[in-house]
Amino acid sequence: MLRKIAFNLFAWSIVLAVAFPLFWMLVTSVKPQFELFRRPPTMLPETFTLEHYWGLLTETKFLSYFWNSIILSTTTTVVVVAIATIGSYSLVRFRYRGRETLAFLVLFTYLLPSVVLILPLYLMLVNLGLSNTITSLVIAYTTFALPYALWLLRSFMAGIPEDLESAALVDGASRLGAFWDVILPQLLPGIISTALFTFILSWNEYLYALVLVNSDEARPLTTGVMNMLISSFNIEWSLLMAASVMMSVPLIIAFAFLQSYLTRGFGAGGVKG
Amino acid sequence: MTQKTKTLLERRYSMLGLLLIAPTVLVFCAVIVYPLVSAIYLSLFKIFTPTLEGTWVGLDNYRTLLAKGEFWTSLRTNLIWTVGTLTLQIIFGVGMALVLHQNIWFRSLARSLILFPYFISTVVAVLVWKWLFNDLYGILNHLMMSAGLIDWPLDYLGTMPNAMISVILVGAWKYFPFVVIAVLARLQTIPDHLYEAARIDGAGPIARFFDVTLPQLREVLVVIIMLRAIWDFKEFDLIFLLTGGGPVTSTQTLPLLVYKEAFALNQMGMASAYAVIMMLIMLVFMIIYIRRTRSEDS
Amino acid sequence: MKNSSMFGHRISRRGALKGMAATTAMASLPLPAMAQETTIRWWSPQAAPAQVDAYMAQIAAFEAANPGVKVVFETTSDEGYAPQLAAAFSSGEVPDIVTHLPSFAIQSYYANGLVEPFNDVIEAIGPDDYFDGANDVFRAADGNYVGTGIGNSAANMLWLRKDLMEEAEIADAPRTWDELRAACQAMQKGGIFGAPLPYGRNSMTTLIFVGVIHQAGGQIFDTDLNVALDTQATRDALEFYASMRELCPPGATNYSWGEAITAFVSGATATGIYTGRVLGNVNAQNPPIADSVTCVRYPTASTDIPAWTFNDFPSVFIPKQSSNIDVAEAFAASLFNPDGYIQQLHAAPGHVLPVLKSINENPQYQANEIIQKYPGEVELMAQAAAGGFNLGYESAAHQSNEKAGEVVGSGVIADMVQRVVLNGENADQVIGDTTKAIEDIMAG
Repeated sequence: MLRKIAFNLFAWSIVLAVAFPLFWMLVTSVKPQFELFRRPPTMLPETFTLEHYWGLLTETKFLSYFWNSIILSTTTTVVVVAIATIGSYSLVRFRYRGRETLAFLVLFTYLLPSVVLILPLYLMLVNLGLSNTITSLVIAYTTFALPYALWLLRSFMAGIPEDLESAALVDGASRLGAFWDVILPQLLPGIISTALFTFILSWNEYLYALVLVNSDEARPLTTGVMNMLISSFNIEWSLLMAASVMMSVPLIIAFAFLQSYLTRGFGAGGVKG
Repeated sequence: MTQKTKTLLERRYSMLGLLLIAPTVLVFCAVIVYPLVSAIYLSLFKIFTPTLEGTWVGLDNYRTLLAKGEFWTSLRTNLIWTVGTLTLQIIFGVGMALVLHQNIWFRSLARSLILFPYFISTVVAVLVWKWLFNDLYGILNHLMMSAGLIDWPLDYLGTMPNAMISVILVGAWKYFPFVVIAVLARLQTIPDHLYEAARIDGAGPIARFFDVTLPQLREVLVVIIMLRAIWDFKEFDLIFLLTGGGPVTSTQTLPLLVYKEAFALNQMGMASAYAVIMMLIMLVFMIIYIRRTRSEDS
Repeated sequence: MKNSSMFGHRISRRGALKGMAATTAMASLPLPAMAQETTIRWWSPQAAPAQVDAYMAQIAAFEAANPGVKVVFETTSDEGYAPQLAAAFSSGEVPDIVTHLPSFAIQSYYANGLVEPFNDVIEAIGPDDYFDGANDVFRAADGNYVGTGIGNSAANMLWLRKDLMEEAEIADAPRTWDELRAACQAMQKGGIFGAPLPYGRNSMTTLIFVGVIHQAGGQIFDTDLNVALDTQATRDALEFYASMRELCPPGATNYSWGEAITAFVSGATATGIYTGRVLGNVNAQNPPIADSVTCVRYPTASTDIPAWTFNDFPSVFIPKQSSNIDVAEAFAASLFNPDGYIQQLHAAPGHVLPVLKSINENPQYQANEIIQKYPGEVELMAQAAAGGFNLGYESAAHQSNEKAGEVVGSGVIADMVQRVVLNGENADQVIGDTTKAIEDIMAG
């Protein structure tokens, strides 16, 4: 028994140490500016304030960046998951020449560094007159999100027993009918997982946003927050921490309600073939 | 479906299959294959970024960069970062997975807390860590000073080797949950009777780890290591935002060098050459990983 | 994306601009009625909340006078504008007007054909109203003006705390490096550091260290723009800078403008190095020390070397690729309207100083709490800034340096500081490398 308690304490102290930066982010975000300059720092805020959150929402462009990020991530997710769903269906359940090469290409691009693609992609989008738009970021995000989604869905798809589809076909369903009635419902948890991962990937992306967008109209949160708050006149840490907390809101929601999907996507994407 | 003579239905099926993969192929060609080819093409020019005016220089960019010390030091830095952070990720990750595999209190809450760093945006992670590292008001310096470990605030990000160690640590903190989850999933599939047998043979917990657990984890660890090696090697955001490559160029990895060439020195052609070389280096890892997964597949 | 031809003939509008110049009033320039909504984008790295408020007022006034025109303000940053503008120029999606960038940056862009000549707008504002020589730094090799000053700034003032000096029994503000070092040593105690000098790999370190070289009696380029770095002065400057390291907070290795000012304002350092923005920030964020701050020009190696003030000459310019150059020019001129301009200057009193005589003398400008509370400091900064220089304009005798922006952007000078001070590398070797690196950039 004593051993069990000791082990639990040990385990939890590591867990808390890992989570400490996040705790500190929360604490800092509700401290007033003057308390921040206190040495030594106060562990819990002596004065609790939400002024930084309020200031962020009313005095800065945070909300407009937030909105851009929502549109951007949602669009990317919808486009990518739609293409990847039918694509992975084709890759797993059909036979044609070049299928293996394609699967290989998917894996290859899944591992490709974005820094290789970014320069030509940038030039391409400039030539298309798309730079500085959310569309340009959706296109750019496809480069890493689509291979990722395909890879995830491919492994989810492979997990669906082929018999189910055959049975439907024997019953006279068309191939697409079977896909719609049999495969899709089976695949739904996989689709949710993939969508969640794609969304988070897009939500957190920084490099493409840094290079492709230089107007506030299309700027997402990652570059927006950096641009807005790392300034030469003052560094307001409490405001930065408040922004960090709010940036993580979608994630917290995902964690609260959809955690099992997150863990599931994990296994499918990385480690299984 | 391997017969030489295909039925009409089968032919129609492969038509349908091609139709379904068509959007993927189109998108791939447009946003991946074409840029990839033009990256190689661009690397043969000297291009001034703001005006995008280019002149053909052939292989000169490659000649210059291979002769330049900066490329080799960046490559070395890149390897130090990758090996350093990857090692920590694996050690912490496996250790944490073993802990979480036990029946501890509030296990799912603990698992969420451990998982969180992996999912938060790098921007957020960097901001939080910069604040923890702050020289004057940072909690880390304060805690270490009150614990008597140091007498004077440490400079975590501005001097060597501190900067490299800090970047490696933050990288490990951010990415080790990936290892935790992957290993945890595998641990749950190890049959209990293996442990039973080992226990009957008189193996202690440490011997059981090395005799039973580790061999069972071997496969999954190889895959994780390859995957994380690739991802860590190409990491840009974390290092760029934490140190910007400094002090001097001590933490400047290849992706940062590409960015600097393209947008600070305005040499887009040269930057492409760096990017292409970097990809060639990564190709080695990628091929090993792909071989591995494909042999598992079949 | 709309072509500028839709706003009627440029020639005739130029005539209008010249006509405006005859009068001293600078009411908004009339533009032909817009067929449809026109939006112009305005970038500036100077975007503290109070400043943005002032910009909004200027935008509102301009929009009211020109129905159909919309001005969008966007923030860039001192460390980030170079890559952002590089990307903007190459994509053609440029801002229509950019303010508060250092003069040398525009010279580089102009030399590459990316900037619209600014002569007409200067005419419209009234060239005679500028302080003497205020536009010299903006003259390009071809005789055109590449932009104009929207203000002056004395960026390397030495900020002091009178209370701490008294405690340490220091009677006079330091005049030489030795005095400065001694003062910092005397005041560094109880968790307070001596100075917040930047050792980061960023443009502040470059810009400040260019000043330090001049304070040692040296220069980066000679008057014909040959690299002249390999001198005893540079070695002295590096030695001084290295000796100050232990008097700066540990994190100074990553300091840029924001950290430097916050360190002094929060009371963590006994001296500061910054513009007059310190005044406003101290009063807002740390009132208890507000009565004890003062400033002098930054010390030099010895008393026979004159002080060298770094003035980045905060500017206004218009990118050539702007599709609304007419509107941008009219808007640029309107920024100098007394009401709006004064409000803009008051948003950070003493930080950006007026370039127009009529504004400096305007009672409305003088009627500001901070300017009245620190008349000596503000006057000193105004003088220092007016006689200030920067890398693109090292002295009045120097040719205009079109590559200065790239030299700063490449970070080679900050690298030199870091290699010698932080890595302890051999100064001769490093100066040699740096000279070569700058020569490469000049050769282009």
